[in-house]
Amino acid sequence: MRVAIAEDSVLLREGLARLLADAGSDVVAQCSTGDELLDEVRMSPPDVVIVDIRLPPTHNDEGMQAALEIRRRHPMVGVLVLSQYVELGLAMKLLADSAEGVGYLLKDRISDVEEFVAALQRVASGGSALDPIIVSTLVSRRRAHDPLESLTPREREVLELMAAGSSNQGIADRLVITVRAVEKYVSTIFGKLDLPSSGSESRRVLAVLLFLRG
Amino acid sequence: MPRAAVLWSIAALGLTAGSLSFALALTSDHVNEPALQATLMDWVTLPYIFGGLIAWWRRPESRFGILMVLAGFTMFASNLAWTNIAVLHSVGQTCDLLPAAILLHVFLAYPTGRLERALDRALVLFAYVTAFGLELVGMLLGGFGPNNVLEITSEPHAAELLLRAQLLALSACALTGVAILAFRRRREPRPARRSLALLTNSFSLGLVMIAVLFTAGAFDSPGFETIRRATLLVLGLTPVAFLSGLLGARLARSAVGDLFVELRSDLAPADLRDALARALRDPSLELAYWLPLFGSYVDVDGRLVELPHDDASRRTTMIVRDSIRVAALIHDPVLDDEPELLEAVSAAAGIALENGRLHAELGARLEELRASRARVLEAGQQERQRLERNLHDGAQQRLIALALELGLLELRLRDDVDARQVLKEARREIALSLEELRAVAHGMHPAVVSAHGLGVALEHLVARAPVPVRLSVELPDRLPGRLEVAAYYVVSESLANIGKHAHASAATVGVARNNGHVIVEIVDDGVGGADTEDGSGLRGLADRVEALGGSLRIWTSHGAGTCVRAELPCA
Repeated sequence: MRVAIAEDSVLLREGLARLLADAGSDVVAQCSTGDELLDEVRMSPPDVVIVDIRLPPTHNDEGMQAALEIRRRHPMVGVLVLSQYVELGLAMKLLADSAEGVGYLLKDRISDVEEFVAALQRVASGGSALDPIIVSTLVSRRRAHDPLESLTPREREVLELMAAGSSNQGIADRLVITVRAVEKYVSTIFGKLDLPSSGSESRRVLAVLLFLRG
Repeated sequence: MPRAAVLWSIAALGLTAGSLSFALALTSDHVNEPALQATLMDWVTLPYIFGGLIAWWRRPESRFGILMVLAGFTMFASNLAWTNIAVLHSVGQTCDLLPAAILLHVFLAYPTGRLERALDRALVLFAYVTAFGLELVGMLLGGFGPNNVLEITSEPHAAELLLRAQLLALSACALTGVAILAFRRRREPRPARRSLALLTNSFSLGLVMIAVLFTAGAFDSPGFETIRRATLLVLGLTPVAFLSGLLGARLARSAVGDLFVELRSDLAPADLRDALARALRDPSLELAYWLPLFGSYVDVDGRLVELPHDDASRRTTMIVRDSIRVAALIHDPVLDDEPELLEAVSAAAGIALENGRLHAELGARLEELRASRARVLEAGQQERQRLERNLHDGAQQRLIALALELGLLELRLRDDVDARQVLKEARREIALSLEELRAVAHGMHPAVVSAHGLGVALEHLVARAPVPVRLSVELPDRLPGRLEVAAYYVVSESLANIGKHAHASAATVGVARNNGHVIVEIVDDGVGGADTEDGSGLRGLADRVEALGGSLRIWTSHGAGTCVRAELPCA
């Protein structure tokens, strides 16, 4: 897996690079600004980029702009945005009309190395990774008539993992059940929420997110 | 001011000239209906001389009065042609057409007595040369009958042709003068006094009559004598129109009396300008108070006023009391013609102006207070933003890096279960600290608002609200940072209140721009009766909103929900 990193804190950037090298990934570029990252991607597109949302010069939304730009110009490159705050509005902006090859995680998540690498691999191969905070915010959102009330606790768990971008295999591993069982849960959930079953897992993420957002 | 003796002497001279005209006409051997002719000529001559003297006395700085007096005496000089004495007759005859030229001069020189523009000067000069210079040539050629002492050769036919040309040229001059007057009037649209319009009309009418008279003369028209009498009648009216304008200014003093009455009835400072505008008959009047403490002019509410430079459209008159500057009147230049009125009005308004100035000073201080409040808020905001940034770049990044190191270590010690457990525990502690730090940082300054805009930030806030919320943000583009942050706090605090007190089942949050304001409105369907005094939440919001020049209003009644509405000015 070829990875490019844009992070202005040297400490974190090098920590990330070490983490990825340990995990057997190839860190092809380490940048400290969004423009540098865009240049690198233009010259030699990696499989996935990791972007800090707050980058110089103003530390406002340069990282976000770079991420959106790469999503627009290089749809084959996965984009994982890291931030010290996760915001539903930003997640929706980042996904726009597709959850393919995109991730948005709280920066803290990198310390759970195995899970972080798994999420990065998902994004690199066209899947998605959304921070649990986003998912739980959406799931616990107050609604006038909450259709989620019809779900069993187990179905709710599956829904949350699904929304965060987990594959059926991933869900099965996490809940220690079979993939067949996961598939059954998924079809029950789609039935209860009256959602049209969609093919790919990343399309499923967007459908669930839009449904939860209301 | 001209000395009274000079004025009285000229007045006496004028009366003498008037009587002399009668004597000349009655003793003449070549004037028909002498009494009528003399009366008609005096009807024009005397008003010009006396009107001119009054104007000179009242407006010594303007040359207009002197010019009128000269016009009167020039007309008398042309009367000399009536005499039988050859020398005087010749002088009078040479001046015969001169009145037409000097009247053109007078009309175009109103009100300053000077010809301001080159075209005016050229036209008047041409008229003088035609009326006097060519007349002299005609006399040398032996025109105008037997009493001509200036004759050097007898070419009566040439003299007559010349006269005809002179008359036509002067007609053209007069009509050009009419055009100039009309053009000026169109170019300077002002709230002109009615008397001024009347005066310009009488100038134009006079010039038209002169043009008609001279054209008729050039072609020996049969009605010439009738036209001449009518022309003289009209010309005599012009000084009357002029004097009525002066008299109008005198009448305006009665408006000062009205002002006194209004001032006595405890006039509010805000109404003083209107009262002054009425007294001065200038609806465009502006009143600016001088505040020595601030070193600037302000309006009645204490807002800064820039005095305009005196030009064709605005003039400024200072009001000084006991040699201390109090205020400035910014007015129409027409009022320059009535300095006494301005003076009287300023004097009458004295105490009220002092009151107004105190009121304005209070307003200015309040304005300053508001501005300093906004500055304090802004400075606090910037400081909090700086702290948030430091926290983000410092402690938070370091903790994350530390957690990452622990994570990597955990991987390497895969086989040591105890060590892994300890490391996992440590990472959990760090995660908790980070969460707390995040809350602190967000409380200091909601970075997401300034980085990504109000719409994005509100989406998350609303999703986590204690009740279902319908959000509508209608902003075409980003707002200034301090407005975004204030609006964010208004929504955040209001939603928190709904969670605490409202027992609501739903709410709406709306943000929109309207008439130079950002409107933030949060409405719930709860029990209402929100206590606006209780707790510092709403009070703090109101402070924040007011410091930005906005207003925060809360409608709440028991059982009927609550509406919080903030209006923030946004140019």
